[in-house]
This record gives sequence, structure tokens and C-alpha cells, in this order.
Amino acid sequence: MLRSILVAFWRSFTRRPLDAALNLLGLSLGVATFLTLSLLYRFETSYERWTPERGKIYAGGVAYNIPGFTHATRVGAMGGLLEEMKADYPDVRGVRDWPQLVTVHRGAAATAEQMELVDPEFLDFFQVPLLAGDARTALADPGKVVISEDLARKYFGTSDVVGRTLEVTETEGRATYAISAVSKALPKNSELKLDMLRLLTPTRTAKEESWHHWGSIQLQTYYKFDRPEQARALEAQLPAFVDRRVGKTFGDVVPHEMLSLKFVPLRDVHLLDAKQRAAVDTLGVVGIVALALALINYVNLATARAGLRAREVAVRKTLGAGPGTLRTQFLGEAAVTIALAFLIGLAVVELALPLINAAGGLSLGLDYRRDGAWVAGVFGVVLAAGLLAAVYPAFMLAAFKPAQVLASSRAPSGGRFGARLREALVVCQFAAVVAAFVLMLGFLGQIRHMQDADFGYRRDGLFLVTATRGVGVTPEQRNAYWEAVRRIPGVIAVTASSNAPADDSFNSNSTATRLDRAARPGLSPTLNVSSIGPDYFQALGGRLIVGRLLDQQHGGDEQYDPKATPDTVTNVVISRATVKLMEYASPEEALDKLMDFSGRKVRIVGVVEDMRFYSPMEKVPAKIYFFSGLPAWWPADWPITMVRYSGMDDAAMRTRLETAWRQAAPSTPFEGKTALANLDRYYKPQRDRSNLFSLGAAAGAGIGCIGLYGLAAFNTSRRAREVGLRKVLGASSPQVARLLIGQFLRPILIACLIAWPLAFWALRRWLSQFDDPVGIGPGIFLAGAAAALAVGLATVGGLGWAAAATSPGKALRSE
Amino acid sequence: MIELKSLSRRYRSDEIETTALHDVSLTIRQGEFVAIMGPSGCGKSTLLNILGTIDRPTEGRYLFDGEDLTASSEAALAQHRAQRLGFIFQSFNLVDDLTIAENIELGLLYRKGRQGSRRALVEAAMDRVGVGHRARHFPHQLSGGQQQRAAIARAIVGEPSLILADEPTGNLDTENGAQVMEILKGLNAAGATIVMVTHSPSHADQAGRRIDILDGRLVASVAQAI
Repeated sequence: MLRSILVAFWRSFTRRPLDAALNLLGLSLGVATFLTLSLLYRFETSYERWTPERGKIYAGGVAYNIPGFTHATRVGAMGGLLEEMKADYPDVRGVRDWPQLVTVHRGAAATAEQMELVDPEFLDFFQVPLLAGDARTALADPGKVVISEDLARKYFGTSDVVGRTLEVTETEGRATYAISAVSKALPKNSELKLDMLRLLTPTRTAKEESWHHWGSIQLQTYYKFDRPEQARALEAQLPAFVDRRVGKTFGDVVPHEMLSLKFVPLRDVHLLDAKQRAAVDTLGVVGIVALALALINYVNLATARAGLRAREVAVRKTLGAGPGTLRTQFLGEAAVTIALAFLIGLAVVELALPLINAAGGLSLGLDYRRDGAWVAGVFGVVLAAGLLAAVYPAFMLAAFKPAQVLASSRAPSGGRFGARLREALVVCQFAAVVAAFVLMLGFLGQIRHMQDADFGYRRDGLFLVTATRGVGVTPEQRNAYWEAVRRIPGVIAVTASSNAPADDSFNSNSTATRLDRAARPGLSPTLNVSSIGPDYFQALGGRLIVGRLLDQQHGGDEQYDPKATPDTVTNVVISRATVKLMEYASPEEALDKLMDFSGRKVRIVGVVEDMRFYSPMEKVPAKIYFFSGLPAWWPADWPITMVRYSGMDDAAMRTRLETAWRQAAPSTPFEGKTALANLDRYYKPQRDRSNLFSLGAAAGAGIGCIGLYGLAAFNTSRRAREVGLRKVLGASSPQVARLLIGQFLRPILIACLIAWPLAFWALRRWLSQFDDPVGIGPGIFLAGAAAALAVGLATVGGLGWAAAATSPGKALRSE
Repeated sequence: MIELKSLSRRYRSDEIETTALHDVSLTIRQGEFVAIMGPSGCGKSTLLNILGTIDRPTEGRYLFDGEDLTASSEAALAQHRAQRLGFIFQSFNLVDDLTIAENIELGLLYRKGRQGSRRALVEAAMDRVGVGHRARHFPHQLSGGQQQRAAIARAIVGEPSLILADEPTGNLDTENGAQVMEILKGLNAAGATIVMVTHSPSHADQAGRRIDILDGRLVASVAQAI
């Protein structure tokens, strides 16, 4: 039987190469798309697989239920939460990871790195794989650091560095640390960054003012439970714990109604955001659809060409083959075709991965030693799906009645049912293609809309220098730097702020209450606060709606007034979103009104337009701006420098800013980038996913076209005699061409009617995640249909015209 | 060997019912060479299809070596064909994608049980009909006569007890037709039972018995001297 299957398979290639190539090409393309998107899906859903404890570890999460604040669980915790948990629940097992920006010194070079301050049992808790060193003692002493093999190679050129030293400047000052262990590099799909670990000591935590400040988020806390029920049971007790511990910190509200603590399974942390999860799921679905389209091709071509094998089936049956034997034969041939398509698809994936990684901002790869079982599993899925699709053609072929087939001069083709099934499948294929085109246009439209949207400030010609908040930088160095920057030709304005576009390292929110009306019951709205230095709005290009901006000329504008009393009123500027959140009738009405902001009296002296600093998917927060004329003396991790310039390209400006920095603060590395480059972190994922979707859609369209071409070629050859007859009866070539081409364009038009509402629903759902979605007009639907129609016309037009141009005599001899 | 008792075959399509065979009773003995004659559409091929178990009677019984095949399952009939029958068609019905040797091997492929070396049997059958030198060719590379000889080789490779030939010379010229008839006569002389449908009176005259069919009824059965 196997030999018979292989012979039939091989002969189909050698004797009808075009048919076989179309069949295999469509299947391979579908398999390649499915494989690539499966790889992506696996990458995205298998974060933290490196730790054998993955199933037992949970990240501490928190969700706030405050007006004006996004109500979603985020991973993170107050620094002292674990200590408070252990006080109430002594059996709790947990560790903390507190990231710190530090400077590593090697000779004269200074490099910015991230150091994690962690609890001593961190390595053992996660079972971090070590190349050298002892996990139990490596973090026992605050004078030791554990570094990754990547960092070891970066600074020492080897991973054999246990016992050597590293000079590091961090918040506590500059010190030399002994390297006690070297950890293996973690895979790319890990949220944990374990390049440099050092012991988190009580001395260090004691210096942190907000360590036990409920509502703050400083670090990550991880818990370990042997069984999920244990995590759920403790989580059920957390509302009472919050009420006990928070007490009256939030005023009269019931604490657990405002703040809830969660245990997020470690495997769910990466895709905790439902929008991200949906994006990954969508790409997974695109992969499945591409495979389905390819299998539809297979069914279509197999059933259409079944007639060509009808006589063979009849002969085999006459010679004693039972229906079961024939089904096995045809399913066997399908299995061999699918196996070959899988191999070709795998090769296509290998060749295309660099391109796909570049287009999608990914780092996917296949390592057959490690991924062998996965590849075999995907092959099993593809084979099972393929065999399922092959069942109908196999049963259809095996059901031919030999006496009828041998008596007939025409080959059967599955009858009216078969023809309708094929047309229905072509409609399904093109519905998917049209929907993909429409969605692709919708995605591109939204991306363009986001890029062109008014952010409330000018994004170009703006450079952000984060080095001014670097560890060890003194106020004098900051002032000297700003003076030097002002002297750079082309610089228009220099300012400092605690926040900058796409910089969320400092994010502070507090409640605000209007003092011009009676207190309302329930929770007060929360405003996002920014501390700003002189020329902040001028440097950004922000727009004043009403009132005035803050400056040094108005004494009441300074937020750090040493003579301030509880009754001192500080002038602030608010944003348009704050006007709405605080229920002022208009920006004008808000002017000169008093508010209580986090226990401090403030007066609104100006209202500015909203400025979008963060993700396009988030609402622009309601802002309150506090002014300080002396930003150099702010807390060390606040002041980020913003430079407005013109007449100089970004690279030249960077060079000048870096040169000035080296002179002002030579022992701290320069860190900075343009606002556009910084903001790209929010837009790149959208672009990347859109690119991946477009690649998937293009593959789907290609598969659909291959199927349509195969079917059109087959049907055109079957209708050759009819073409001859029509021409004998006086039909012209264009009339016959229109007839043949029209036959294949009709399913595309029906497909549009199915695809449009589906695409509209999917697009509206996708756009709902954006704060400022682009409008959905009829244009993209018509354009999507036109694109599918053009692709279909290009596919079958040539075939139809060639058939119509055949001489009637030749056409009539064809059967 | 074969006994047909009051056999009828009717076809129904939409509102029309056609009777292809009407109350046919017939006995064929082991080693006979029977020719079936009649005009087009008289039911010759239907009778041959029923004898070959690729069609079933609407009424009546079909006994083969005493075994009633009328109600046998599809699988049982398939094995019956594989073990005991050989078919020869007017249009040869060789599988285009298989070589001549592979086509002939099909006659053994679906038999259950050990069959020894299929290759040796195939080679012997090809030599017997004179197409051994065309073993690796495809059907379209052979002349009509060569294709029909290959089809005969496929029919006899399993040494069946009954060979059914449906107008085996209908698509051949006189010379090739005569060659095919010589082969069939040789096979019959060697002990094979043959039932042949033909339009050619001269070929029918070479059979041991001639049966005439008209409008689905058996009208004459005449023994002939060969």
C-alpha cells in the first residue's frame, strides 16, 4: 500500500507538474504562515519557562478603583508589602526585586546599567541557573554581586569572573563589589532582567520614605505557593488584610474598595494586559485561518480533479479494491502531500525568519535540538487538520460506482453538490481575503492617524536627556549642564521636569478635592502630578487655553517654599482633562478656583491643552502641574532635561548634548534620545503587529489566489468544448472571456458581502482599545473589495482570455 | 460455475424507470467461452457488469460456484473480484499514471494472503501477451493493440477462474483484433472460463456458445463448433 501511495504521489508531480505545484505551493504557504505565527504565539505565551518553579510562583499585583485612574491589575507592589504580609501570614514565602539605575565604571568609561536589589533567597526561589557560584551564599553579603554571563563578557570578555570586582555607583554612592556568582543568560521571553543582582538590605529600605506608603508601587514582589488553591485562599483574605493595614490612610473610604491586592500567576504576567493578550490571540487566529485557507485549496483542487481519477478508481474497484482500501490510498497520498508541504513550509520559515523578525520586531528562532518536540507537535496538528480536510475528497473518490464511471464518456466531478461546495469554499476563502485587506487598511489608517494626531505639543525638534537624573549627579553639575546646553547654537529652550514624553519612571497620582463647593461623598478624583521647571510649556510647545503659565516672577508659583504653612496656597496649572474630571463647567470657570491636592491648598492660575505623553491606548491623564524654579535641587531621580532645538539634525544635536554632558558630569554616562524615538516604544508594537498581520494577510491572499487559479484552470479546461460551441454559434472572444472571468469573479463579490460586516465588527473592536480611534468610513471597505477583485481578476483574467481566444475547431476536439 | 435465476435490473432516474435486464436466467459452465451479442442498449454490458459484481441485480439471484452473491457485502464482492475475476474493457482502462508493469500488478494488489513474488507473476503475464519489452512505458506510449494486450495481462495475472471481456476488440483494427481473439482462445484452451460481449459476428463465432440479447431479454443461446 505504501509503495502504491508513493508511486501515485510521485506520478502526480511528474505527469501534472502545474497542478501538483499549485497544490503544494498553497499548502506550503499556509503551513509556513501557520508555523511562523505558532512560533510567535509560543514565544509570547511561554514567558518565564526558564524557571522550573514557574507553576508555583505568583507576582504581586495591585488594582486601584479611583476616579480618573485606570482600573486594571498591574504587577508591582509597595516596597514594604512583603514585610507586612509576613507579619500577618508568617507562612508566606516571597522575594522582592527592586530595579535601580546604576553606573558601572571600567577605567575611565562609565556605563549605565540596571541593578536588581533582591532578597537573599532570590536565586534559590527562582532556581536561577548559575554558571558559577553557590546560590545559597551568593547574595548573603551586600558587598557581593551576581552578574549574568552577558554582563560578564561585556566587562571582562569571559564568563569566568567569580572573585573579580566591579566598581558601581548607585544611590548609596560609589563602591567596589565582589562577583560571587555568574548566572546563565535568560531566554528573550522573560520579563525578569537579571543582569546584576545585589542584596536588598534593611539599611537600604529604611532610607526609602515611601516604603510603607500604601498606594505606591516601587518594586516587584513574587510569592510561591505549592498549589493554586493556596494562592486563591490567601487572596480571598487580602481585602481584610488591606482594611486592617491601611486603616484611615485613604480617609473615610473602605480601603479594599479602593485598592485590591492580587496574585498573578508568573506565566500570565507578560500578557496581563487584555489588549496585548488579544493582539497575540489575533495573530494566532490569523495563523489558523491561513492554514484553513490552504486546506480549503487542497479540498477544492482535490475534489475538482477527482473526476480525472474516477476511471482509475473504477478500475481499482473492478480489480478488487474495497472502498476502505481506496480511502486509505487517497488519505495516504494526502498525508504524503501534507508532509512534503510541511517540510517546504519549514524551509520557507527558516529562510523568511530574518525578514519576519525585522518586520515584526521579533527574535523568533528554531533550534531543532530544543524545539524538536514542538516541531513534531505542530506537524501532528497540521497533519491531523490536513487529513480531516482530505476526508471529503477521499470518501468522494472512493464512492464512485465503477459500472457508471466505466459506462460514461465524461468524467464525474462530484456532481452539483461538489460544484456548490467548491464555490462555497472559494467564497469563504475570498471572504477571508477581503476581510484581511479591509483590516489591513484599517490598521494602517489608525497607525497613520496616531502618527499625525495632535499630541498637544511638538514632538519633533525635542531631545530628552535622562542623564540629569543619573545616580551621583549633583545639582551643580545639572546647573552647569543646562547653562552649557543653552549656549549650543540652535537650542531654543531648555527645561526640566519630572515627566517627559514616553518616560514613566516617575509617576505620581494623588486625590484632589474642590474647595469651592461642599465635599461629595465617595472617592475623590485622582490627578497625575508633574513637577516642572522654568520654560516647560515653551520648550514643549504646549498650548495655554486660559489664564497664565507658571514662572519665577510670581512668588506663589514656587512649590518648595521654606516658609510655607498649612494655609499657604500654591499656584498650579491644570489640563483640559482635569477641568472635566473636576467637573468645572469650562476652563474659564476653573480659573482662580481653590482645590485640596493631597492635603495641600492649590489655586488654578492656568489651563493648558492635554498633552499625550504615554500610550495611544491610554486616556490622557488629568494633569496638575507644580512649578519649581530650582529643579537642579529636586530629588535625584526626578529631573529629566528637555531641549527644544531647530536648524540642526538629531544626530548632530545629540553629539553636542553628549559633549556638553561629558564636560559637566564626566563620571556619569550620557543617556538621552529624541522625543520621537522615545515615543516610538508605544507605536512600534502597533506597527510591528500591523506588519505581521499584513504579512499573514498577504500570505492568505496568495493562498486564495493559488486556489482560485487552480480551480479556474481546471474549470476552463472542462469548459473548452462549450467555448468551441459558443464560438461556432457566433460568440466573440471578448464575450466568451467575460463569461469565463465572470464565473470566477461572482464568488468574490459574494465574499465581499460576507466579509464587510465581519471586518467592520473586528475593526471596531480593535479600534476600541485606542483612546483616539480613527473613523471607519466606507472607503476602506470598497478599497478592500477592489483589491480582492483586482487580485482575482489578475489571477483568472489571463486564463479566461486565453481560453476564449482558442480556435473553435481545436476547442471542439478537446474531448 | 455461474447460475443466474430470473435476474432483472432496472434503473430509476427522476421520473423515468428503465429496464436494462428482464427475467434473465442463464448457466455458464467451467471452461466455457461464451459470446454475448445484441444491439446497442440491449443490456449486454449490464449483464456483464452484474456477472462482474460491479453492479447488482434489482431482482433474481446470482450463484457463483454455488455461492449466492446477490446479498454479499461490498467488501466480500471486492475480494471475490480480486480472487476470481479478470476484466478486459473496450477502452482498455489502463491507469494513465502507472507504467504497464504497475498496471498489470494492480491485478494482484488487492488480493488477501501471501502471493509470493508479484514481480515474477507480472513478468510472466507480460511475456504471455508479448508486452514484456514495454514494462516501464506508460499507456499513452503504447499502440491500441499493445494497450489491450497489457489489459489482458492485467486480467490474467492472478489466474482468475472467470474472465469478463466487454467488447475487447471494439477499439482495435482488424489485425490487432484478431491477435486479441487468438490470446482469448488460447486462455480458454488453457482452462479459463470467458464471457465476452461483442458486436462482431466473426469474433462471436469463435466462442463455444453464443447468447443473443434483445431489449433486456435473453432470446437465444446457441452452442457453436469452434
